[in-house]
Amino acid sequence: MQVRGGKALVSEVQEKGLCVDCGGCVGLCPYFRSHRGRVAMLFDCGLDEGRCHAHCPKVEVDLDAVSRQIPGVPYTEAPAGYFRRMVKTRAGEKMVGRAPYQNGGTVSSLLALAFDSGLIDAAALTDREGLIPRPRVVTDVAGVLACASSKYMASPTVSAVHEAIAAGFQRIAFVGTPCQATSVGQMRCQIPGHSENGPIALTIGLFCTWALDARALTSMASAEMDLQAITGMDVPPPPASVFSFKTQNGSVDIPLERVREAIPEGCRICPDMTAEFTDLSVGALEGDTTWNSLICRTAAGEALFDAALKKGYLEAAPMDPAQAAGLLKASAVKKARAMARAREEGLLNNAEGASALRVEPAVVDRILGGTGQ
Amino acid sequence: MSHLHEEKPGNRRLCMGNEAIVRGALEAGVAVAAGYPGTPASEIIETLSALAGPMNLYVEWSVNEKVALEVASSASFAGLRSLAVMKQPGLNVASDYLLHLSGSGTRGGMVLVSADDPGALSSVNEGETRPYAKLMEVPLLEPGDFQEAKEMTVWAFELSETIRNVVLLRTVTRLSHASGTVVMGELPETEKQARFKHDGFIIDPMEGVVMSPPVEWKHSQQQEKLKQAQALFETSPFNTYEGPDAPELLIITSSVCTLYCKEAVALLDVGERVGILKLGTTWPLPEKWVKKHLATSDTVLVVEEVLPFLEGEIKILAAESVAEIGAKTFYGKKEGSLPTTGEMNPDRVVAALSTILGVEYIGQEAAYAQRANEISFAGAPNREATFCPGCPHRASFWSINTALSMDNRNGFVCGDIGCYSMAVLPAGFSTLKTLHAMGSGTGVASGFGKLSPFGMDQSVVAVCGDSTFFHSVLPPLVNAIHHQSDLTLIVLDNSGTAMTGFQSHPGLAANAMGEIAAVIDIPTVCQALGARVKVADPFEVMKTRELLLGLLDEKGVKVLVLKQACALSPEKKHSKAWEMTIDESICLGDTCGCNRFCTRIFACPGLVWDKEKGKAHIDEVVCTGCGVCAEICPVGAIGKGRAEKKGKKRASGGEVSHLES
Repeated sequence: MQVRGGKALVSEVQEKGLCVDCGGCVGLCPYFRSHRGRVAMLFDCGLDEGRCHAHCPKVEVDLDAVSRQIPGVPYTEAPAGYFRRMVKTRAGEKMVGRAPYQNGGTVSSLLALAFDSGLIDAAALTDREGLIPRPRVVTDVAGVLACASSKYMASPTVSAVHEAIAAGFQRIAFVGTPCQATSVGQMRCQIPGHSENGPIALTIGLFCTWALDARALTSMASAEMDLQAITGMDVPPPPASVFSFKTQNGSVDIPLERVREAIPEGCRICPDMTAEFTDLSVGALEGDTTWNSLICRTAAGEALFDAALKKGYLEAAPMDPAQAAGLLKASAVKKARAMARAREEGLLNNAEGASALRVEPAVVDRILGGTGQ
Repeated sequence: MSHLHEEKPGNRRLCMGNEAIVRGALEAGVAVAAGYPGTPASEIIETLSALAGPMNLYVEWSVNEKVALEVASSASFAGLRSLAVMKQPGLNVASDYLLHLSGSGTRGGMVLVSADDPGALSSVNEGETRPYAKLMEVPLLEPGDFQEAKEMTVWAFELSETIRNVVLLRTVTRLSHASGTVVMGELPETEKQARFKHDGFIIDPMEGVVMSPPVEWKHSQQQEKLKQAQALFETSPFNTYEGPDAPELLIITSSVCTLYCKEAVALLDVGERVGILKLGTTWPLPEKWVKKHLATSDTVLVVEEVLPFLEGEIKILAAESVAEIGAKTFYGKKEGSLPTTGEMNPDRVVAALSTILGVEYIGQEAAYAQRANEISFAGAPNREATFCPGCPHRASFWSINTALSMDNRNGFVCGDIGCYSMAVLPAGFSTLKTLHAMGSGTGVASGFGKLSPFGMDQSVVAVCGDSTFFHSVLPPLVNAIHHQSDLTLIVLDNSGTAMTGFQSHPGLAANAMGEIAAVIDIPTVCQALGARVKVADPFEVMKTRELLLGLLDEKGVKVLVLKQACALSPEKKHSKAWEMTIDESICLGDTCGCNRFCTRIFACPGLVWDKEKGKAHIDEVVCTGCGVCAEICPVGAIGKGRAEKKGKKRASGGEVSHLES
């Protein structure tokens, strides 16, 4: 993992349009700031190495090193990464109806238990102000419930992890998309003298096929509706093919095709759909919006899941094999497409100069071979 | 308070050139003076304003130079003697009125003093006054020393009344700001009675309508009067010749260049070979007198500053008179002996003379010169031009610069004229990207703000000072609002015309003479024009930045008034709002990872790096206690506590430092 400085980060990521505003470089120093979905370097820090560059999920990411950190296994071509169990879940009796969950309410329920049981003392989550997602450090279940539901937009959530660490929290939970989880994974590789888990006690990944540039989506939405009236967003299952805004005056749909124009370039080289470098990953369940898909990756993650079932925070059921296969297929497609694009764009395993991704060539071959690309 | 008016006739006094002009105006019985501050002219109105009471004057800092000329001219129309004062760029502003004023003519003696700044020591241009005399067809006088500055001012009023037109008096930085001995003359006991006579025959110059039509007739009258001035110039004592009867080389010069020429001739010891023809009445040329001297030498060197104005006029005259005086060889700017940019100085004249005359001149022995060059900067700290400690502009540009970076649309700031022009430099984080005339920042931004149909998606910001706002920002602001341009105007209101020395302006409650004046409130004006207006204290940097980020997202014209008095303002001097401290247990120093964000980037002179400790340090002597750096430190090591002593306390801000958001 080659670490360079802030200026290099700007030229290797921002200027190439690869930044997805994950927040990995934000809040560590006075130089990097995120504003309305964009990260900016305010002044040249003059340093040759920085955590900003080390954390960035779009430059010099050694997928194997991160995977060995968490979940603790070598990186392979496995479409959804390493996992112990894959089930469908939803809020248990203790959690039902306590917030407008996006789907089954699994993430909120897991976090609620984590707070109630003292596993965590803070959580770095994503809230929303108007249409713009905002990182937030919450310290109780009420805070968790206030952040429920998907944001669909790039958000500098990792900066909330930095904020929580700086504030002195010792057992921090993080919930985020695959890029954010990769950033946190790299952070855990980097923290000097890092204990087994360091201050990060729990990471929950969110499935993601792509995110949207906050400014582009805002400008699209503002042409169609009053931004203040937006209460939520959803991508309804096919064949709808729309991006749906929930507003106080009903739904407003924008064709998915148009919305896709707001996908940041950085998303197109992301090989991770299920947030592989986490304790647990959660996403929608194909064909049933009342449930979630849940992937347990680590022993700690699995233990939390088991406790959640036992204590009534979660309800679980086996996943339909067709649904499981669909999830793996979608993950494999994203992985292969991203690897191919990264290679095409000169962003994979470069011998000279910066590379976005570093992956064992044999693994790359298997990923690309597996889908015939 | 100046005691210029108390000097008895015959007294000798060390006077700045500007003071000499003031004394001249007083000796001429001036009643009204108006101007706009601008280096190197400011001290003239400044000094006159202090003497307004004892000398029975009306003196004002007008809103801009055109208005100053208009105000001064009205006194002339009412029969009083009046003075308008400005730096050269102001003459450009006033020039529209000057064209019409010179066409209409004046009544009471009226002098327009315009100060050039060759070498742009305090300007962003090397603008020239002299061509205006020719363009506007008014006489031009150029004092060559301090005594002459006074005498010529007195005579300029008389000349104005003789030809019934305004007289242009040109000074330059080295005359205005240097000092020399001046022998005082009589102060008149005049009764100043103002009456505007307008009931006479319509074209009567003294009792009719004051106007330039009927143009052709008035124009010819104006030119006749100019010929009258020219005739007077032929015998003017302000034109002198010094040197042999038939010099090998004739130097023709004017203004302070006269002194440089005298020095160069003395240094080279060529007084036997070179004559100096010094012109005090530069336009129109006293042709007969100049011709007489041209006839005495075949070789001519014209020494003047910046452009070859005099050289051109002399050459025309020589060409017209070639049959009479013979062909001449000219040295000067066109031929290349002297540069057409920058200030003139004795060295430049020496260099030209030694080449033309073939005289070697060694000012310094080579070894001495080399050694002097080696040691001249040794030990001197490397200092860039920067804002004063506690300057609100540093805080404002910090917020503006970081907001534009975060806005991330490659936005930029159109600059304007004031201390804040320095924001083109690292002092202001290199934030300004255009810099032209007063008010131009907003005008240029008004245009940029209409370029979105051509794909421009950058955020457009303009800045101006409070005095500049009134001077010339109002019209472009109206333009921008009317045309629904997309821009954010930031008014850096530091409560005075700070750069030139805290002269009053329409936003303040006192006028130049210290009398109560009506205050025009900038936010109210902008609001009334239809702009969205916010007001903030630039010392609250994070709040200012958030406010600005919000405004950048809005369409149309937004105005952000950043109000905080200049650190050098009389109300703040010698007082600290906050007692700043560094908690060395919190400051991580070299290990912080911020890489000296406070002293390397923010770089207030009051905040220094203690090399031995490797930590930030407040220089208590220099620090003014503005409190801004407390918001800059990423770990909150800089604290601000209430200053105990005489310091005025500001209303806002917490006791403890906090993290940058």
